[in-house]
Amino acid sequence: MCRMKYHEHHPWQAPALAAGAAVWALAWLVLLLLDGQLDLANLALLPVLAAAVAALWWPAGLSVAACAATVLAFNWTFVPPRGSLSVDLHQHALLLLTLLAVSWIVTLLVARQRRLAASERQHAQRAQQLQTLATTLRESEDPRDGAPALQAALLTCLQGDPAPAARLKTTTSHAAGAFEVALLLLQDALPARDDPAAVYRLGATTADQTAGLWLCLRQQRAMGPGTGWHDDERAWYLPVRGRGTCWGAAVLPLPGADAGSGAAAGLRRQHAQALCDQMGLALQRTAAVQAATAAREDARSQRMHNTLLAAIAHDHRTPLATILGAASALHDQMDRLPQAQQRQLAARIVDETRQLQRVTDNTLQLARLDAPGLVLRLDWESVEEMVGSVLHRMRGRHPQHRIKARLEANLPLLRCDAVLLVQLLDNLLDNALKHGGDPALVEVLARRVAGEWPGAPAPGGESCPGAGNLWLLLAVRDRGPGVPPAWRDRVFGAFQRGEPSGAAPLNAARAGVGVGLALCRSIVRAHGGTLILRPRSRGGSSFECRLQLLASPLPPPPPPLHPAWPVASYPDLHAAVEAEPAPAHHSGPTSAGGNSR
Amino acid sequence: MNPTVLLVEDDRELRDTLRAALQVEGYRVLPAASSADALALWTHAQSHAQAQPHATPGDGAQPAVHIALLDLGLPDSSGAGLLAMLRQPPGCAVIVISAQQGEGVKVGLLDAGADDYLVKPFSLAELLARMRVALRHRGRAVQPAVTRFEHTGLTVDLAAYRVQLCGVDVHLTPTEFKLLARLVRSAGQVVTHRQLLANVWGAEFVEHTHYLRLYMAQLRAKLEADPADPQRLLTETGVGYRIAEPPA
Repeated sequence: MCRMKYHEHHPWQAPALAAGAAVWALAWLVLLLLDGQLDLANLALLPVLAAAVAALWWPAGLSVAACAATVLAFNWTFVPPRGSLSVDLHQHALLLLTLLAVSWIVTLLVARQRRLAASERQHAQRAQQLQTLATTLRESEDPRDGAPALQAALLTCLQGDPAPAARLKTTTSHAAGAFEVALLLLQDALPARDDPAAVYRLGATTADQTAGLWLCLRQQRAMGPGTGWHDDERAWYLPVRGRGTCWGAAVLPLPGADAGSGAAAGLRRQHAQALCDQMGLALQRTAAVQAATAAREDARSQRMHNTLLAAIAHDHRTPLATILGAASALHDQMDRLPQAQQRQLAARIVDETRQLQRVTDNTLQLARLDAPGLVLRLDWESVEEMVGSVLHRMRGRHPQHRIKARLEANLPLLRCDAVLLVQLLDNLLDNALKHGGDPALVEVLARRVAGEWPGAPAPGGESCPGAGNLWLLLAVRDRGPGVPPAWRDRVFGAFQRGEPSGAAPLNAARAGVGVGLALCRSIVRAHGGTLILRPRSRGGSSFECRLQLLASPLPPPPPPLHPAWPVASYPDLHAAVEAEPAPAHHSGPTSAGGNSR
Repeated sequence: MNPTVLLVEDDRELRDTLRAALQVEGYRVLPAASSADALALWTHAQSHAQAQPHATPGDGAQPAVHIALLDLGLPDSSGAGLLAMLRQPPGCAVIVISAQQGEGVKVGLLDAGADDYLVKPFSLAELLARMRVALRHRGRAVQPAVTRFEHTGLTVDLAAYRVQLCGVDVHLTPTEFKLLARLVRSAGQVVTHRQLLANVWGAEFVEHTHYLRLYMAQLRAKLEADPADPQRLLTETGVGYRIAEPPA
């Protein structure tokens, strides 16, 4: 870290003094050489020239003194009577006076010009510095990342002007920690107490300076010499101001007791304040952007919630209405209803309750998947098994529909959350059965597909080595009326519901799939896969889910025989134990087993 | 004597509905709303049973409560403590009733020795079927282990190490046989992944669920008409496996 230390220096720089002295020496040398060869009036032009040139280096006071001394010396040396300060001729007296006046005027003019040029230069430098800082702040994500740049700029501002009696010099001395430019920037809102955790700090400060920084931050007001507040401080405390608020404070330690007063110091302080304000505005801008983003996000999630709630209400109301209707019929008209109708009503209640259960499960699962910090219960699962368990349940529930499974033999294990994937298949099948015609002809398809991986990397593992890009295509297809192109992506939006089309008007029992498909997409995304809806060439829809296949774990070693199963008790086991075949890595039908169902 | 059911369920509506339904089926029902409630009822029933005049020393193994329906998410207990108490000899069968969320707890209780589980909402038929199976297994505790299983053409004879499908011998590898045998011993009941892995491969393999996937696929290939639509070897997603209940 760059630290500063104050050094007492001679106010005037030696090279400049030497240059001025050299000019005067040269002028006198020429004067002495030309003595007697030129008219006195002509000789007198040389000191004027020397005064003008030397004023380029010398401070104005010294130059003025040198001019006076030169005129006296000129009088002594060249003006008759020589060797004395007395003047014989009036015209000589006029010459000397003119010489002195012109020298002084030239000297002062040159000095003024120098001052103007220096201030112009400084002005340009400061403008440049401000711009550089602004650029740095604009380009950093968090303006606090630009704090070191501000610190460096303030340091330059403090030491940049060589005019005062003391100069700052950059050293690596650590002993001078108290003279470091330090910053205090709020991380968030202004804390009630001076809490160091609530601020970003840069640079070391003494306890006194820290208290000063907090005071400056809270009062939003500069303090220190020349500010009219705590003028006796040995440092400037400048607020980092935004519009109407204060985002932090900076402390600029001053080298000497009087270093903070005077016009030049005032300008320096103003520049330092401008630098600080750049940071303040940048912080304010970032905060405004963040607030706007948060508000947009909030509004979006609010809208989401509203559609979600409206749709949940709808999805729940439909089965509830049926249940209430059937239940109240049973309740009120039990005695008058024939038994067959009673049974039918009861069956309807059971069916609709199942539907309600599915909607509830889906809604809960959707909320769980959308919550931050979701952890999937990943394990190696068999696709065949998951499809099997869903088919088993679905066929039991909808015996009138045909569901066909076409699974590729020897599918590798899939790294997934089985509960979620079963829910995915369950919803896709339920959707296909509802929209797949009557009776529906639905097909579940699972096969390996090679090619470019279209989705995000799957969670928890590298892709299958040696197998290249291999993924699992899991599709549920129907031969229903299909989905109009405009709806193909929207069906996955939470609670979208297909418009009633002429071909297949959706009745109440067929409605309420929107949440299911939204959940399906969430599940697939949580697994790093993709889910799309593709129309089939001869009518119907195909919901296609692609999941990445990872390198399968090693197949099990032949397990040790369990003590509970002594080999001796199974005479025909002996041979088999010796020659247990290594289990096939993939599931699939084997020739063994007389399967004749 | 009719079997006694300890019904631990904190929702009053469901408790009343279940009690009425179970009483219609001929069960004696002890309804409890909390873990503490259940504990009191259980202790009382236990002491009452021992005070019966006809109780003989040899009859001491007969439990006062035959089966417990244990709802997860009780206000005063996670269920684990209650399960441990209910499992004390002579012990009663325990069926865990869980909502969708209680996945981890449910599997934990099954691993700890609960007999079976049901996910809310369930139908009465499902509950009664599970209870019948559980009671059969409990009743068998004092009898010699059943070594024969028959279901829709599949015959498993554990003692003879023989598996037949529609009268035709099926060859199984020792591991496949051990896996099938473990399921058969709990026929109709769920057997968790951990239990299967520990029993067949050993305690150090309880995390290797992929072994199960591979061997179950092999078993299904040999024992099911359509392995993708199993009728006998059923998957309980996220929990374990179950061999279909043999017809009573």
